[in-house]
Amino acid sequence: MIEMRREVEDSRSGTETKTETKETKVETAEISIDPRTIELCVRCGTCRSVCPAFEVLGWESKNTRGRVMVAKALGEGLAPDASVLDSLNTCTTCGICAAKCPAGANPPAIVQSARMGLVSQGVMTEAQAGFRTRIAESGNTFGEGGDRLGWLSDPDREGLKESSDLVYFVGCLDSYRYPEVAKKTFDLLKRFGATLLPEEVCCGSPLIRTGSDAGKFVDRNLRQIKMIGAKTVITGCAGCYSTLKKDYPPEFEVVSVPEFLAEHLAELDLRRLDLTVTYHDPCHLGRGSGIFDPPREVIKAICRLEEMRSNRQDARCCGGGGGVRAGYPDLSLEIAKLRLQDVPAGVDAIVSCCPLCIRNLSDASSEVEVIDLVDLVERAIVPP
Amino acid sequence: MNIIEKLRDIVGERASASPAERLCYSSDASQVRGTPDCVVRPLSTAEVSSVVELAAAEGVPVTARGAGTGLAGGAVPLRGGIVLDLSGMDRIVELDLSNLAVVVEPGVVQARLNERLRPRGFFFPPDPGSAAFCTIGGLIANNGSGMRSVKYGTTRNYVLDLEVVLADGSVVRTGSRTLKAAAGYDLTRLFIGSEGTLGIITQAVLRVAPLPKARRLVIAAFDSAEEAGRTVAATFAAGIVPSACEILDRTTVAVLRRCDPTLRLPDGDVLLFEVDGSEGAAAEAAAEIAALSSTTAASVAVVAGAEEMEEIWAARRLVGAAISRLDPAKSRIYVGEDVGVPIKEIPALIREVSEISDRFGIPAMKYGHIGDGNLHVALFIDVLDDGEWARLAGAADAIHRAAIRLGGTVSSEHGIGAARSEYMNEQLGSSALSVMRAIKGALDPRGIMNPGKLGLDDGPSPGGYG
Repeated sequence: MIEMRREVEDSRSGTETKTETKETKVETAEISIDPRTIELCVRCGTCRSVCPAFEVLGWESKNTRGRVMVAKALGEGLAPDASVLDSLNTCTTCGICAAKCPAGANPPAIVQSARMGLVSQGVMTEAQAGFRTRIAESGNTFGEGGDRLGWLSDPDREGLKESSDLVYFVGCLDSYRYPEVAKKTFDLLKRFGATLLPEEVCCGSPLIRTGSDAGKFVDRNLRQIKMIGAKTVITGCAGCYSTLKKDYPPEFEVVSVPEFLAEHLAELDLRRLDLTVTYHDPCHLGRGSGIFDPPREVIKAICRLEEMRSNRQDARCCGGGGGVRAGYPDLSLEIAKLRLQDVPAGVDAIVSCCPLCIRNLSDASSEVEVIDLVDLVERAIVPP
Repeated sequence: MNIIEKLRDIVGERASASPAERLCYSSDASQVRGTPDCVVRPLSTAEVSSVVELAAAEGVPVTARGAGTGLAGGAVPLRGGIVLDLSGMDRIVELDLSNLAVVVEPGVVQARLNERLRPRGFFFPPDPGSAAFCTIGGLIANNGSGMRSVKYGTTRNYVLDLEVVLADGSVVRTGSRTLKAAAGYDLTRLFIGSEGTLGIITQAVLRVAPLPKARRLVIAAFDSAEEAGRTVAATFAAGIVPSACEILDRTTVAVLRRCDPTLRLPDGDVLLFEVDGSEGAAAEAAAEIAALSSTTAASVAVVAGAEEMEEIWAARRLVGAAISRLDPAKSRIYVGEDVGVPIKEIPALIREVSEISDRFGIPAMKYGHIGDGNLHVALFIDVLDDGEWARLAGAADAIHRAAIRLGGTVSSEHGIGAARSEYMNEQLGSSALSVMRAIKGALDPRGIMNPGKLGLDDGPSPGGYG
């Protein structure tokens, strides 16, 4: 444990982003980063060739190597001013640096630990504070007050099973921003007996990614999963998948929608469509969880697939994750635009399995329609 | 008006004095540290000129930096002042292939240049392990090279002309676009390897080479690194010049396998010989090397598949930083990592390095461009153990002095920077160093260009590691 004892200064140079520090005074606190995880970084600079935020911003502090230096220096007394917060919080946690690091360092974990250490002292950006407030008040990342299951038809609502082996975890984004995807996904999954959590709340991903504790929300979801008796939780959001898999106790199996669909392809009775699509690997589903083949199997069962210029393990980030979309919207969109340059010419759609990726790529003025894998499957389902 | 405000007048928001930038530009991949007062990211020669002119007027040091991948502190601002991050000047200005030339800005990444050249059948041969992220400007300033220098030479052999901003802010061109020129002092070569102590390179005309039609890789494993070293000397004595000749000692092989278990590398201390040329010439040279090696090697294999060859080279390029894969408690520290000796002294150097490693109790991984006498020694320690840091410094010093004693150099391709400046006098002799100091004094009378480097001035040196 590295002890940190500093006062926060707002010594912004005027060259950084619009983020402001929320608190102004730090007492003694601890940042729990194992020094060995930091010392794995030998500052060779390999990450300069892959960090998406660095590609846009160009400053060393906005590159992986710089962030690791910042995290280390915080433990040695660096005052966490706005430039320090910008360094740490412009990381999308896409993990491509970790995949490429010859020394085997895991910089996103270091960044998250550093964020957590600062947040625990009350030092955070407005965006980080916003996640905390909104999720605490509403149970979702948008601060929406409406019914989380508003997309559910009345008959489906009335027919919801109180116990089942299978639960569909919808996530905040599909619940509130892509309700039609939530509905299509549930229409598919209920054929196999899936039910819903009656009072689902945010999985906790935005909190964990941005340095806050999500234990309360993990507990609320977990209690319901147990109450239903689910052995398997299925989700169509890469962020939820990663969180349910890695940050919840291993008391149930977590399956992504593409995995589930690939396993049940024969039962879906899909027809071929005369389309060519490309597939964007969400960082937390692909590189982060190793799920590369199932979405491709589903796509190839329906139409032609043409790969993006960087794909699978090397896929570039959409720019939306790690709190960057909320905290640094301009940066987030610039990263998305770079990702769109990887789209092969002439495809009919970009398919993905993460509503955050879909939203960010769509907002970056993609000329090609960006759709969920479930949208594609729904188009291919032969009407009864 | 303070200096950061004046810099913003020149480059706008591309100047910063924030704590995070000052921290992140305070080191490269070496152990040398120095915190800048401000960092500037210029995008044009005019901006660089204005910044240097301002620095000259204010008497503020200026340190040029590319990707900051240096291993000797060359881009570290030892005495503060301004760091010029040139990595944003990354345009490939012109491909003039009928003249075998390309015009680039200093921030162009080596691999990006070769990506542009490859479809046209050309390449820029200097091929450091950091090719995917190091900049051309850094390569020129350090006379960098890499695995293929045994045949193709170093960056020095590929620079035709430079645009340089001098210490007063004026701009000069040093050469011409012709492949040869006999017109007075070779100013181009003066700036190559000068590590930013004489001026700032803002554009370069580079010579490029046609891509060879075929390559072969001969992999030979030996019972000892010394035996491998003797085989290299014998190969050159037989008149064979491979396009790359690398040694991977058994520890390095173990690290590579840990990084990629699918790599087909034999047990033992391994030599990689690459040959290139026409299909017939490559196959013939590979057969000759395989036959010659088989008299001393435990095993010999020839690889012809381009994909497998590239996998081995890609792993080799990054092995320097990968030692932690073998032992997560150990980190590679880049000191004493770039010595070079005449080829026939390689077995003696390997023997000395092994003895030094044993004497100081610091494990050493040995790999590198053995074909040009350049041995990369990877010393690795537990960085949380102060005692290991002290022994590391002793081991690095002994390795440097061994190389000089064997008629070699403390740096073959990484540069002197601040980490090795104390050896300049011993290696070059006081007369040669005096000439260098006279040149420095003539071009940078106020001593603002990257002070504290190359042993050129008497200012404080970092003195130690860690």
